Amino acid sequence: MADTSSQLLDIGSDDPEALTDRFATRGWGDGLPLVAPTPERVEAMLAGSNRDPDEVVATLPPRSGVATRRIIAINGVLAGCRPEHLEVLVAAVKALARPEVNLRGVNATTHPVAPLLIVHGEVARTAGYNSGLGAFGPGNLANAATGRALRLMLLHVAGAVPGAGDASTQGGPAKYAYCVAENLLRSPWGGYAASVGVDAPSAVTVHCGEAPHNFHDMESDQPAAILDKAASVMASLGSNNAPVSGAEFFVMLCPEHAATCAAAGWTRTHVASYLHERARMRTGDLRDAFALRAWAPWQETFGDDAGMPITEHPDNVRIVVVGGPGKHSSVIPSWGMTRSATVPVEP
Amino acid sequence: MKIYAPDGAVGPSAASLAPPPPVLAGKRIGILDNSKPNAGLLLGRMAERLAARTGASVEVVERKNAALPAPDDVLARLAEAEVVLTGSAD
Repeated sequence: MADTSSQLLDIGSDDPEALTDRFATRGWGDGLPLVAPTPERVEAMLAGSNRDPDEVVATLPPRSGVATRRIIAINGVLAGCRPEHLEVLVAAVKALARPEVNLRGVNATTHPVAPLLIVHGEVARTAGYNSGLGAFGPGNLANAATGRALRLMLLHVAGAVPGAGDASTQGGPAKYAYCVAENLLRSPWGGYAASVGVDAPSAVTVHCGEAPHNFHDMESDQPAAILDKAASVMASLGSNNAPVSGAEFFVMLCPEHAATCAAAGWTRTHVASYLHERARMRTGDLRDAFALRAWAPWQETFGDDAGMPITEHPDNVRIVVVGGPGKHSSVIPSWGMTRSATVPVEP
Repeated sequence: MKIYAPDGAVGPSAASLAPPPPVLAGKRIGILDNSKPNAGLLLGRMAERLAARTGASVEVVERKNAALPAPDDVLARLAEAEVVLTGSAD
C-alpha cells in the first residue's frame, strides 16, 4: 500500500552505527541504539490489522505532525516493539491527542513532565506487559519498548525535541520510557479504566506527570497509617500540584497496601477521599511560596493557618494497583495544566 | 539498507501570523500577558516605548495562563488591536 507521507531513505550500510549516525544528523532518536525501520519490519508490524495504514490517528503539537498508523508502526519498530504492541501504541497516541491532555503545553513546558502510559485489561496479559514485580522497569520488553516508542513519537512526530519543542530545564529519566501495566489480578477494586467509565476489555491511560515518588510502610495493618505516608508525599511545595488546584495525583498502590485497605472495607473512592482530606498544607505557606497560583476562588478565602487540600477535589486522586510482593507504593504528581485520559484499545 | 523516515507529514497549522503592518502610526497595540514572572512588566514597557516612538497607542491588555490556550473572550478583545505583543518564558 502506497504511503506518500512515509519517506524511504537509503542509509547505505546495514551497520547499526550507520542508522544511529544518520538519525543523529537529522536530529532524530533518543540517544540509544535503534532498530532499523525497514519496509519489511514495518509491514510486519502492520500485518496484524486490516485497518488502513494511512489512517490518520492524530495530529500532534507543536509540530502538527500527522500520526498515521504507519508512522506509529515505524516508531514502534525503532523502539523495539513487536506487532502485538501496536494497538496499545495507537491507543496511547489517541489519548495523548485528547484536548484535556494539553499536549502542546506538556511538550513545551520547562517542567520535566512525561506521559505515563498505563496499560489496562486483557492486552496487558496477551501482549506481555509487566504489572507485577518491578513493573516500572527495567527488564520487560513490552513496557520498555512501548514506553520508548511513545517518546519517539513525541520526538519525531510531535517535534518535542529538547531545545526546540521541549523546553524541560533538566529533562528526566521518565522521558526515555514510561509505561507500566495495571495489576488487575491483584486489584481488590477491579480495573481502573472501568472506574472512570471506559468499560472495554483493554484500555490505556496517559497521565502527564513526574517520575514516581516512593513511599513505604512495612508495618501497618490499618489503611490510615499507610495512606498518611502517601498524603505526606502529596503535600509538597515541590510539585506543581501545590499551586494548581485542579491537578491530579496518580497513587500507584502495591498489591499488599491495596489489600490492607480493602480488608478494612475501604473502596477505591474511600482511599481517594481519605488522601484528599489528609494531603494538606498550611495555606499561608502555600501563599508565601507561590505568588502565581491557579487556585479555585474558594481556596483564596482560606485563612493563612487553615489546612489547604493539595488538590481541590477527591476525584483528582486516582488509585491504580501496580507492582509485586513488598510494601512500596508511589505517588505520581501531575504537571498541573493537564488531565489524564483513558481510551479503549481496539481489538 | 532502506528505512522509513520516522517523522511523517506536517499537517496544517491551527493558526498563522498576520503580516505585520508597514507603519505603526495610528495603530492600536494590544498586550497578551501570559502570567509568567515579569511578563506584564516587560511587555507593558515594550508597548509603551513602541507607542511613543511610532505614534501607536496601547489599547488592550489581557492576561492568560501560560500553559493553556487563550480563552475565546480574551482573543475577541485582543482582536480590537492591530498589533499584539506576547510571549515570555521563565
